[in-house]
Amino acid sequence: MYRYVLYTLLGMGLFIPSVHARPVSYPGGWTLMTMNDGDKNTLHLHYSPNAKMSLGYKFEYWRDKEMTFNGVQMNNLLKRWNKKDSQANVYLKSGVGIAHSSEGKYDGDNSAAGFTGIATDWENRRFFASYENRYTEAGKIDDFFMQSARVGVAPYEGDYGDVHTWLMLQVEHTPESDDHVTVTPLVRVFKDVHLLEAGMNNRGEILFNYVFRY
Amino acid sequence: MKKFILTLIALTFISIPVAHAQTATNNVVYVDVNGLVCDFCARALEKVFGKQDEVADIDVNLDTKVITINYKEGQSLEDEKVKSLINDAGYNVVNIRHEAPDVVLNDSEVSHE
Repeated sequence: MYRYVLYTLLGMGLFIPSVHARPVSYPGGWTLMTMNDGDKNTLHLHYSPNAKMSLGYKFEYWRDKEMTFNGVQMNNLLKRWNKKDSQANVYLKSGVGIAHSSEGKYDGDNSAAGFTGIATDWENRRFFASYENRYTEAGKIDDFFMQSARVGVAPYEGDYGDVHTWLMLQVEHTPESDDHVTVTPLVRVFKDVHLLEAGMNNRGEILFNYVFRY
Repeated sequence: MKKFILTLIALTFISIPVAHAQTATNNVVYVDVNGLVCDFCARALEKVFGKQDEVADIDVNLDTKVITINYKEGQSLEDEKVKSLINDAGYNVVNIRHEAPDVVLNDSEVSHE
């Protein structure tokens, strides 16, 4: 069933994953985001000096790989299309830092590490679609590619200040993992400066994301 | 009774210029903006304008994509400054108006272009 959904999305040209929350804020804005799912726990705190880039600290813990990453992440808004009823964005997201492994023959090893990827999204007040990919290189410890896509629909159009709700479907593709594809239905709720997402994937693993902007 | 009526009349005449003065200093601009699709966008603009000393508050209408900027009494920002603040925040200004956008029109008053 999940595979059918994935193929349907691909067929519709909608394989467009998750700029889960916009990686660049308004000028002078700080953003704290934590993303948690079956594969990883991440924390990203960034500052946007302008509306075209943000710079901040990134922490990641990859559960199966037993690898942590601590580093600096820079996000650049490459292009934005502002229309009357919609907005689309293309971002470049890159990070450099140190990876630490706690697994097998690399147990206790550190390595310089980095990642880069493109993220793009489109939304209006009723529909949402996004795509994101990323290549990670952690020297002798690991290297991997992943991509993900999301589509979403808002059951109602909230006004400014209301609680906004989105029903979303996320598809992740990680070629090297045992389950290449995971599918996660989730609910996004946001109000004011808080954004919260919760869902469960086809392996029964929980997704929980939280974003705070100030 | 006569004194009461005279007081009322006097108050009426006093209040007229006051009302006019309030209208004259009630600086409001209405800005049509492209790219306003979510609450975060609106919140961003609220933060940006909140840092401007001249601005009392703003209201963002996601339905009409209009930002209403209320200035503090006797203060305002140049249109170019408004445009630059919004553009720098990542959105596009379509139009800046100094009069309320839609005073409800009768059918006969709707323009036929």
